[in-house]
Amino acid sequence: MTEQVGYFEADIPLKIYGLSEKSVTITFGTAIDNDLLSLITDFNQLLLQNPFSGLITTVPAYTTLTVFFDPLSVMLSDLPGEACFEKVSAHLNKIAQTKREKSRVVADKRVIPVCYGSDFGQDLLTVARTNNLTETEVIDIHTAGQYIVFMIGFVPGFAYMGGMDIRLSTPRKEVPNAKIPAGSVGIAGNQTGIYPLETPGGWQIVGKTPLKMFDVNRSQPSLLKGGDLVTFKAIGINEFNTYAEI
Amino acid sequence: MSMKISIIKPGLLSTIQDIGRYRYLSQAVPVSGVMDELAHRLANKAVGNDDHHATIEFTYADASFKAETPILVSYSGDGACMVYNNELMPAEKPLFFPAGSVIKLISNTIGTRTYLAIAGGWDVPDIMESKSTYLTAAFGGFKGRALQKADVLTSGTVINEVSKWILEQLIDRSLTYPNWRISRESLLPEQRQAIRVVLANEISWFDATSIISFLTNSYTIDRRSNRMGYHLSGKPLVRKVKKELLSTAVAPGIIQVTGSGDLVILMADCQTTGGYPRIAHVAAVDLPLCAQLKPGDTIHFSEISRDEAEELYLERERDLSLITMAISLKYIKT
Repeated sequence: MTEQVGYFEADIPLKIYGLSEKSVTITFGTAIDNDLLSLITDFNQLLLQNPFSGLITTVPAYTTLTVFFDPLSVMLSDLPGEACFEKVSAHLNKIAQTKREKSRVVADKRVIPVCYGSDFGQDLLTVARTNNLTETEVIDIHTAGQYIVFMIGFVPGFAYMGGMDIRLSTPRKEVPNAKIPAGSVGIAGNQTGIYPLETPGGWQIVGKTPLKMFDVNRSQPSLLKGGDLVTFKAIGINEFNTYAEI
Repeated sequence: MSMKISIIKPGLLSTIQDIGRYRYLSQAVPVSGVMDELAHRLANKAVGNDDHHATIEFTYADASFKAETPILVSYSGDGACMVYNNELMPAEKPLFFPAGSVIKLISNTIGTRTYLAIAGGWDVPDIMESKSTYLTAAFGGFKGRALQKADVLTSGTVINEVSKWILEQLIDRSLTYPNWRISRESLLPEQRQAIRVVLANEISWFDATSIISFLTNSYTIDRRSNRMGYHLSGKPLVRKVKKELLSTAVAPGIIQVTGSGDLVILMADCQTTGGYPRIAHVAAVDLPLCAQLKPGDTIHFSEISRDEAEELYLERERDLSLITMAISLKYIKT
């Protein structure tokens, strides 16, 4: 069942700028917004289902979608225009004129088990004290929320998520940790996120998930993708160890 | 049958790279791949390989390897010269070495990176459709790491027809090479310090004086420079628009301006997204020049249009396909 909610602003050309000889970026808006995310997700899916000759890949971000292509294939295509920029833009504008139907992309829901506190979340107390909460309250608030993945960036598999309760807002550390273990769940400002790899970082670490957020052996190495809906579930150390053995 | 070498001395940083990992950018997997795509492709072409075949990227000199079997290889780049039995080996030319040969990389003050191609390409597993090494996440290339002493590398068993013909002509008990070579110089501008750039989307965020300063002043490659990017030292730029740029896709060659007004040229291992405003991107044809820069080198930027950059790119690709054609014509059997 589909409900028509409008078009990709059929009469207004997309705002497109050249990023390099091999890429262009479409700007869909100016601020982080859930509706904009679904527009970009829909447009991205429509483009990937209706590619132009030479399309290599796309990268969705907060307000943009970047399209990477092979200039030689684009030049050989019969798209209108003299240069790659015009040819690719012509195709993207054609996509934009496609009728948009609601629920084109259904968000995947992901539950991330997290073992909070102790050695896995050494900054849980800092987050609690900063916000005049108990550690249990921090866990309750963190697991009660539903988070939306806006984009994957920074390091392979890192999800920029929105939707954290501002009662958990905590500034990042002044001195970043040299090593944060993979799977660590952190808070920085109004954001929450999961470190997919062991990297240096300045986020306040509240817990750890046994899930592999990034695994090169999966067909989709990044567990999360733009548009996903995420919830956290508190687990104990025994359950954590059971997961970790899988 | 595959060819084999062993690493005697790995040098500063030696990794297996190909032309990059493009299909997983949306999962924040960097492009990686060779820094100097031109040198990589020429080394491959000289042994009859395809451009996508993996090569070894050496950083500077002070490395050496031994042919464990007879090998058909070629090298290109400005990081080092290859020497065998005290004889300087010609670059961009197929070189046949008998088993047991020891080849050394000796200092070349011109640049930074040198590529070693072998007929059939270096055989390492494909990770996310590429053989490139990404050290930060320890995947790709040879066991996800830089090459070490005693590593044994083998070539792919399937080799191109042209490679077979080159090998057939050169195979011998001692070092052999043909009299032809690819002219890399003819593909590179004489002025290697002049880097052509196309102004970027956030250009209007900078004040006019800063834009002029960007296009007229010299910049020096800072010590904080690696495969991810180069920090430049020079006059900081001033922004007139102070708003925040929401993280958006970036690519190698893009020049970001940090909060303190300093320039960073993004290189092969750069993150897939960034939140710094961008003043320009390096023309694709000049990115190989950047790949050879080392700390202390001085460059300046000159502006070209988006269309000019594209025309230069297409022209370079035409030149490169002519080289491939010329090499196969030398060996074609009718």
